[in-house]
Amino acid sequence: MSNETARKASSVHFENVGKTFGEKDALNNVNLEIAPGTFLVLLGPSGSGKTTLLRCLAGIERPSRGSIFINGTPVAGEGGFLPPEKRGLAMVFQDYALWPHLTVRANIGFPLNNSQLSKPARTDRVDNLLDRVGIAHLADRYPNQLSGGEQQRVALARALAAEVGLILFDEPLSNLDADRRESLRIEIATLTRESGATALYITHDQSEAFALADKVGVLKQGELVQLDTPEMIYKSPANAFVTRFTGVSGEFAIKQFKKMGDSLVEVYLPFAPDITVEATKIGKLSKDANASLFVRSAGVSIFPETNEEGIPGEIRDVAFNGRGYEHVVKVGAAEMLTKVYSKHRFDRGVNIKVTLDPASCFAIDPSTEEM
Amino acid sequence: MKLTTLKLNGLRKKTIAVSAALAVASLSLVSLTAGAASNPGFVLYSAQGYDQQAVDAFNATHPGFTVTLKDDSTGPLLTDVQAEGNNPKWGALWVDGAIPFAHLDQIGMLVKNSAPKVAFNTLGKANLPADGSFSPTGVTETGVLCYDTAQVSASNLPSKWTDLLTTQYALGMNDPSVSGPTFPLIAGVFSKLSNLPFNATTAQVKAAITKGEAFYQNIAQKTQGGLVVNPTNGVTLGAMQNQAVGMATIQGSACYSKTLGSYKTLGEKYLDASMELPGVIGIDAKMPAIVRADAAKFVAWLYTPAGQLAMRTGDPTGDSLFWPVVGSTLANPIIPNITTTNPYAINPYTWAPYETQINNWFDSNFVG
Amino acid sequence: MNVIKAKSFTENGLDTRRKFSFGSIGVWTALFLLIGAPVLCFLTLGVSPRLFQQGPEWFTLKYVHEAFQGFAGRAIFNSLWVATVVSIFAVSIATSMAWVIHRTNIGARRFWAVAMWLLLLLPTWMMTLGWTDLLQPVGGLQALGINCSYIYHEFFGPLGIVVVLTTAALPFSYFIITAGLQGLGPEFEDAARIHGANKIQTFKTVLPIISPAILSAIAVSFAETISDFGVADTLGYHAHFPLATFILFKAISSYPANFSVAAVVAAVLILSIVPPITLQSRVMRKNTFAVLSGRTRTPRVREFRKGPRVLATTIVATVFVVAIGVPVLGAVMTSFISGQSFYGGHLHLTLLYYREIFNPPSAGKSLGTPLLLSDQLGFVVASCTGAFAVVMARRLVTKVGGLSQRITDIFLLGSIAIPGVVLAIGYIFFYNLSFITHHVINLYETLPLLIIALIASSLPGQTRFMAGPVSQIQPSLSEAARVHGAGRFTAWRTTNLPLMSRVLLWGWLLTFTKTISELAIATILFPPSQEPASVTIQNYLANFNTGAGTAMTVMTLLEMLGIIVIALGIYRLVTPRGWRRIGWRGIQS
Repeated sequence: MSNETARKASSVHFENVGKTFGEKDALNNVNLEIAPGTFLVLLGPSGSGKTTLLRCLAGIERPSRGSIFINGTPVAGEGGFLPPEKRGLAMVFQDYALWPHLTVRANIGFPLNNSQLSKPARTDRVDNLLDRVGIAHLADRYPNQLSGGEQQRVALARALAAEVGLILFDEPLSNLDADRRESLRIEIATLTRESGATALYITHDQSEAFALADKVGVLKQGELVQLDTPEMIYKSPANAFVTRFTGVSGEFAIKQFKKMGDSLVEVYLPFAPDITVEATKIGKLSKDANASLFVRSAGVSIFPETNEEGIPGEIRDVAFNGRGYEHVVKVGAAEMLTKVYSKHRFDRGVNIKVTLDPASCFAIDPSTEEM
Repeated sequence: MKLTTLKLNGLRKKTIAVSAALAVASLSLVSLTAGAASNPGFVLYSAQGYDQQAVDAFNATHPGFTVTLKDDSTGPLLTDVQAEGNNPKWGALWVDGAIPFAHLDQIGMLVKNSAPKVAFNTLGKANLPADGSFSPTGVTETGVLCYDTAQVSASNLPSKWTDLLTTQYALGMNDPSVSGPTFPLIAGVFSKLSNLPFNATTAQVKAAITKGEAFYQNIAQKTQGGLVVNPTNGVTLGAMQNQAVGMATIQGSACYSKTLGSYKTLGEKYLDASMELPGVIGIDAKMPAIVRADAAKFVAWLYTPAGQLAMRTGDPTGDSLFWPVVGSTLANPIIPNITTTNPYAINPYTWAPYETQINNWFDSNFVG
Repeated sequence: MNVIKAKSFTENGLDTRRKFSFGSIGVWTALFLLIGAPVLCFLTLGVSPRLFQQGPEWFTLKYVHEAFQGFAGRAIFNSLWVATVVSIFAVSIATSMAWVIHRTNIGARRFWAVAMWLLLLLPTWMMTLGWTDLLQPVGGLQALGINCSYIYHEFFGPLGIVVVLTTAALPFSYFIITAGLQGLGPEFEDAARIHGANKIQTFKTVLPIISPAILSAIAVSFAETISDFGVADTLGYHAHFPLATFILFKAISSYPANFSVAAVVAAVLILSIVPPITLQSRVMRKNTFAVLSGRTRTPRVREFRKGPRVLATTIVATVFVVAIGVPVLGAVMTSFISGQSFYGGHLHLTLLYYREIFNPPSAGKSLGTPLLLSDQLGFVVASCTGAFAVVMARRLVTKVGGLSQRITDIFLLGSIAIPGVVLAIGYIFFYNLSFITHHVINLYETLPLLIIALIASSLPGQTRFMAGPVSQIQPSLSEAARVHGAGRFTAWRTTNLPLMSRVLLWGWLLTFTKTISELAIATILFPPSQEPASVTIQNYLANFNTGAGTAMTVMTLLEMLGIIVIALGIYRLVTPRGWRRIGWRGIQS
């Protein structure tokens, strides 16, 4: 990274950005600030508008409303529209978007065509990148002679080549198998951070988001519903949608609840009316509301039936995952808790007791959400 | 990075080269279309085989303006003339057959009294309209019986049109809606069968049409060989060579032309009437005066010795086989004396209104 | 690199309008001037001859009535059933051939793909000429001592017409279906087989996947067949089997011309394409073209054993012998056989006709200047059409499902059904309107107008031809170039152009050769003193100079082949290796 020090990470600012396709709002009033050097992951299900947001920033789509600024300079909005090539960014595409008629080397070198670098310097930089993404031996191959993982490494190297201040990632791992996904995710994390650039990464995979991000933004139907660190999102989700999307072990209707303080409530579940469960209150809960209890798997523990405390349950499934066992537990008539971890194996059909950690339990009224 | 850069540079050069080639090609086309002078000259629409020679000879000796030739078959030329309507591009039209000119004259498209004041011979006078709205430049004949001596012996040849009703050979002819000289032939046959006067009444013409249509129906249905219709002279002669027909009533000059060329076994027989088919030139009434004057100069030149020479020598085995309308009609030694061919003239103004009707009848009965 | 200058932003004068409006207006204006206005002018004559001084009536249905009667009515009926039968035959044969050539191990696969191209380049009038020359009673085969009079009479009738038109429609269908087959990975077939389907059931399951391609091929074949003039003018006439395009031509070329009846016939031809288009768009709905994924799925090749392999190869070879071999052989033989030798019964070969090409007999024209002009026309028309067709094809595939896309699609397909004669006469009526010639532009009787007309006639087919390959280029490839610093043009040049280079080249060659052999427009619109080769050749053939005319035909075909070979050679030499290993595989060159 010869001129790493010379590089300045970009800041990004979305101001009331909206995008309409025909009748449908893909993005709605998005406000988002990305500080220089941040690795921001946008998380959302398909159709949540995350790809549209990314493409608007890249300059491939034009927002219908609002403005986008890069380093304080407007690139889209009332004043006009700056074409993608003038925005000083790089991008890794979901389908790799490697040019099939160019070799690996030429693909990676493409962004340098307009640079001031001398030819030897360009060659050096491409060689260096080939090394760093571990595909130096494939330099003279063509894309369709490479595996998916190798192709995406080329795409990553290409995005790093121009040493821009902003790199965009459009679900770059979604077409790869689990093993490659893991190793490439690590490379993206390390190489991008090494480069010092600001990164905007979109995915629908919560674990990928948490693993990569400095900050995670959660999108729902074109709106940004929460923007925070991975830890805060996990511990203090903004609403039922975010909670569900960031991983729950179970979701149960609440029979009754009692306030214990500003944020804590005691809830009673229909299938265990005698047992008090403490939970964190998210949003408003009215007396007659149809509130639910959301339980993160991290807060669920299981014990033999002989344990004094806990809700009775029955093991429905057990899976070995290397470090221990993941169980599916039936509580009540049909309610299930999934991904219940234990170091010990409980066999199918065995009756057990379940305890819930208040910090991992959220009482939420989903109907209070605007959408 | 060397590789990519080199490739892209190469590519840029190629793009430039391709663009340059395109530009050169377009320019060369534009240059072909350029050219205008103070006297615009005029465009001659012509289907005559010797038109190029005539135009070249004229242009070489008349530097004031240029005659531009649009040379095509009669059909496409008349299509253009009609489609151009009131915004015509032709200065003069020169094709075989007076009937289209009669029609153009009736709709006011021709300059009246444009026929030059030259000493037409009897043949010329017979084909000159009263109002001088067009001029005959030479006369050929249609309805000449052209036959293949390898298939038909001279003793079996008919000598009158009515003899065709009993012939044993397939009779070829052209399609009047494709071949220019064929409607005059049919009109001539209809006239001859009813012995119509030159200026016949409408009732007489209608009766002659009924009689004539029955005549062709009989040839088609009652003779041993039937009637075989092909689009043009050339194709009809091709059918004869392929032995699909033994004899055909077509334009005489086409038959002579092939006899002189590759089809040595052809023979010509003149029946009791051979329809005169004048080559005709007319001047466009919608053109500005200067263009009309240019066209008139060209028309007048055609009757000069130089013009006549160009016409007689331009297509010696084809369209040049005509009888002149100025001086002696015997000017061309290859073709017989016209008086031995039973020449028969029809009034183009009488027959012009019936062309569409008769052609449709013909197509419905003998082509489809 | 990372600092965006505010200056560049404002200086750019950035376009804040909606993206499509400017382009759409431009494209539709061009289409209106090229095709819409002239054709509408002409069609209007069918009910209002007075509008163009072609008759006394401002409005009348007389000519509509006339067009459906007698001879003309019969011709319309013939055209409709022939086009229907031909499109079904052509698509059936093309589907089988596409599958056999691309999905099995039959012999000489590459050769057949090239042969299909040659077939595409052969104009129908040349095909008919070859068949006639070979089969006629004193024709080529008889000169060789083979009696074929029994075929002759069969051939000169609906049978011959269907055979020639089917062979002519075959390549269109073949290329459309080949593109469809490429989207058909082996997994669909595998899935069906695994779940217990037998061969026929599997075929039934998989067929709907390529049904858009099949219906598209049927629609294009129908449109091409119904608008063909080459066969109608030659075989149709001789066989006393009138076809609508011939009636149309006749109505136009007799004097006085009946433009109104011609207009009605033209309207019927154009409207007749509505049912196939409706059928096609109903089935296709939103997925107009099978969009390929980025990763190449290599289709499985079915390995025939020796016996079936030989059989399949023989069948394919036979199709090509009938489609190309026979007509080319007929034309070549006639061009070498002396006229008189037909008579004596002994074969006499001569080079006379080839000498006549450039040293014509008196009053004949040399082929030299006209052929040079045709080459220039071909060059300009092919280049302009290619560029415009790319733009159109992109519109066609990027706005899939939208109203604009559907209208463009229907307009272009309908335009394929417009006979060249109609377009040409429409050009006279529109571009020779007093208002246009005096106040707008005076193009009539000039080479540029002929060029524009030729572009208009080749654009619809060319756009359809390119739409498939264009749809297969993922938009992310040029987006990636833009994002990584390439401007709009550079992005196109460095990503789309290489990927499309092969299809552009073949599309160019296709328009180039079609322009050289085009007859209907050339004969009506060629300017004074500038006669294209096809008009010269046709004049020789019409004047019973078959030998010279055929020799010129053969010479023109050879020249076209030569240019194809040279163009392919240049492509190999100048393009980087990467260009040649990717992209559209309509042909394995």
